[in-house]
Amino acid sequence: MTDNTLTFPTPDEDEVLGAQIAAMYAATPAAEAGTADRVARTVLANSMHTASRSALGVLRPRWWWGAVAATLLVSVTLRPWRVVSRMVGAGASVNAVSNGAAVAQPTGMVTLLSGGDEVRFDLTLPALAREVAIVGDFNGWDEKATPMLRRNADNSWSARVPLTPGRHVYAFVIDGTRWLVDPLAPQVPDSGFGPSNAVMVESATQ
Amino acid sequence: MTDAELVARTRDGDADAFGVLVSRYYEACRRFSYHMLGDRSDAEDVVQETLMRAYRAIARYDERDQFRGWLFRILTNQCRNAITARGRRTRRFVQDEVAIEQAHAPVAGLQLGTEHVALARAIAQLDSLQREAILLKYAEGLEYTEMSAITGVGESALKMRVKRGSERLRVILGSRDE
Repeated sequence: MTDNTLTFPTPDEDEVLGAQIAAMYAATPAAEAGTADRVARTVLANSMHTASRSALGVLRPRWWWGAVAATLLVSVTLRPWRVVSRMVGAGASVNAVSNGAAVAQPTGMVTLLSGGDEVRFDLTLPALAREVAIVGDFNGWDEKATPMLRRNADNSWSARVPLTPGRHVYAFVIDGTRWLVDPLAPQVPDSGFGPSNAVMVESATQ
Repeated sequence: MTDAELVARTRDGDADAFGVLVSRYYEACRRFSYHMLGDRSDAEDVVQETLMRAYRAIARYDERDQFRGWLFRILTNQCRNAITARGRRTRRFVQDEVAIEQAHAPVAGLQLGTEHVALARAIAQLDSLQREAILLKYAEGLEYTEMSAITGVGESALKMRVKRGSERLRVILGSRDE
């Protein structure tokens, strides 16, 4: 005779769902090796950078950023930079001279970040690089002040920079030695130190 | 070395100690913000901003709190800010709408296994507060008291968000199976 009354506990639906979510979460691919270390260095560099600039009185204290954040608007040519078969402007000479071989075709983008007081610079390089930094008038053209963070294995790099209203000029430094401009981003004339890209940050009320 | 010891060393200017803290918690922060925001770049920005704020505020960290909980308090706030700002950014930059649109398809960026794709998509469709509660409860495995300390939301409200979020997930997943 079979005991048809014998039952087993039915797993709670929420427990099952919770276990599925936990498994999915745990399966999230980890960041590329060394990313945490690079982020830590970026955080430390940016923090020290901010402090030093404040000490010099070049920038207002941090609270000032918050006060103007709501009125900032980045007027940048936000276009996906096209890869073209030839370099344009002064950027071509920089790349051709510095590479000495295949001419790089970097692609860049500038994006306003949350809060409106920071800008993210993205740069994708066609060849591997060990390290990339962004330099400009906002960090005293210091190659060590603002290291860029490698996004992933496709050699995309990114950095966040707080910018005050006004025109800012910048360039990228590859592996600590090779200076590079985004050939399709807005540029300013060479003032004796090589070409630079330019970004304009202006008040939304202007 | 404990988190508290690393925090103390960081306060004394030991950059390496802060690096160890980052290496301990970077992945956890990145994973949570990934699933909250559904976009890898946004998530990485949020984590960097979180760590930046943590570093600047480390003098105010109370050793009686768990460092992870304190860090996640900053992280959840930053994720909320990013979600709000994303709406603003969409209004400001027409060209960015393409990127924003792509950001709503988190699975492609996450490269999850096929067995997890449907669930990740369903979670991405939840209301952001329900998603936050669901992730903290089930993915991070936190108790409601811990969730309350992190989010600043009462336990009853969090239980309701988890309940409603779970129901919504089942509806989304059920409709997909039909």
